[in-house]
Amino acid sequence: MPFLSHGSYRIRYEVDGPANAPAYVLVNGLTQYAELWAAYRDALVARKFRVATFDLLGQGTSDKPALYINQDDQVAALNLLIGELGDGPVFLSGISFGGMIALRYAIEHGKRLSGLVPMSCFADLSPQLLLLGNALRTGLILGGTSYLQDLLLPMNLSDQWLMPLLDKLDSVKRQGWLVNDVYALQNLMDSFLDFESLTPRLSSISVPTMILNGEFDFLTPRALHETLRVHIPDSSLVIIPRAYHAFTLEKPALTAELLARFAEDVLAGRWQGNKAVWIAPEEVGGEPTPFPSGYNHLRAIPVKDSNP
Amino acid sequence: MNALFGPLDSRNCVLPRQQTRAAAFLISAHGALARQFAFTLPMKLTSAWQTELNAQVYREAEIVSLLLRATSWVPDLALTCMVASWETAWLPSPLEGIPDRTLATATGLATLAHAVHAKIRPAALLPTEANSNDPFVMALRRIEFENGRLLQAQTVFLKSPELVSFRSAVNSALERRHTEIGKLWAQALEGVGINLRAE
Repeated sequence: MPFLSHGSYRIRYEVDGPANAPAYVLVNGLTQYAELWAAYRDALVARKFRVATFDLLGQGTSDKPALYINQDDQVAALNLLIGELGDGPVFLSGISFGGMIALRYAIEHGKRLSGLVPMSCFADLSPQLLLLGNALRTGLILGGTSYLQDLLLPMNLSDQWLMPLLDKLDSVKRQGWLVNDVYALQNLMDSFLDFESLTPRLSSISVPTMILNGEFDFLTPRALHETLRVHIPDSSLVIIPRAYHAFTLEKPALTAELLARFAEDVLAGRWQGNKAVWIAPEEVGGEPTPFPSGYNHLRAIPVKDSNP
Repeated sequence: MNALFGPLDSRNCVLPRQQTRAAAFLISAHGALARQFAFTLPMKLTSAWQTELNAQVYREAEIVSLLLRATSWVPDLALTCMVASWETAWLPSPLEGIPDRTLATATGLATLAHAVHAKIRPAALLPTEANSNDPFVMALRRIEFENGRLLQAQTVFLKSPELVSFRSAVNSALERRHTEIGKLWAQALEGVGINLRAE
């Protein structure tokens, strides 16, 4: 199990796939750990990509700072990992908290990237997200990791995914409960206490950017992704049908397919962001379709766009 | 060597030898916290945060009482030496670099309590098949759950404005305490067939 060193802390990482291939670096969400990307590793390696996964500081097998975790340190750790990958093309993707770390990396080290895929992501703490985050933090403090998982599972996953697992949720939660410690999760959440909006800096992201947002994402709804689409010049927004916040867990085959296609399009010079809005196919192998012209993609009912 | 309690007995209970070693360590650690919190608690509360200190005294005592009653005890000769080294590790250790002696002592105690509450996760050692109706299993789950709440007092205090100017010293001392407590816990369990370092 290889580790990177950042100051006195160790960061666990894994790199798979052919050494000279274009690389995908995948960044975990707040309560996640690197093994959750296993399906992506297999799918992307099969498409001839190199795949790097790691545990952020405070997660899984990486060191867990006892009192403070600074988001700058997470970006620095990510930079160390990307430095391990040589000079070839690097595509960076992250979900939720990891998506925000990926955004920060793209703002600070964008020249090193060939493409960026923020998923279920945000550049601002909207009042809803701020209050939800505070409530989740209180839930963690009062009820522990297990209670936080109890809140996140129904919020972030569909009935279809949950239904067959209802009588075995304890086993679904167990690995996350084992590898995550209350104090470390709280430190990760507390790293937002001095959070400053990334929106004013988004326009500096010049790499091709595909923004992925679940149709029914409750935690980070469409408006937060719209900010990314509007401010990142070479971007497009892709809506994943019938998906919630944690669609990377629920739809790994479809999401891995979208990641692979995006990188292949960029490398072949076919990518055009155009700040367009797309609807992803429901199944692997389908084609994305443009969001219907004249309708407002920020609404949940078919309302005509006032500025077509 | 296993990273969890086990093998379990025919009723899926933790073997008494492992119960004894784990419970002895936890009683020593939480007992020390109960004593030190009690000595720090004034007869008449003068600050709002001391209400939390009062609660901590009784929570720590509750953990000791619970383990004394829930554990299936067996003789363990190795405990004689181990308890001595544990008790030495818990001795009050005022934080160097803080001139105010009272604050330095309170900070030292908070780093110890933070490490015990954050770093020691006894319920995470229970295999999934462990008998949920066994008092020892229930006790470990309750202790781990309670630790997460107790931890908040230390977190708030160690991040409080009065310690901001000592942030680096506090952070270093806390990291040292985490390492030390984690090592003692791992050593205690190693002798009864549990290898935490293999995780």
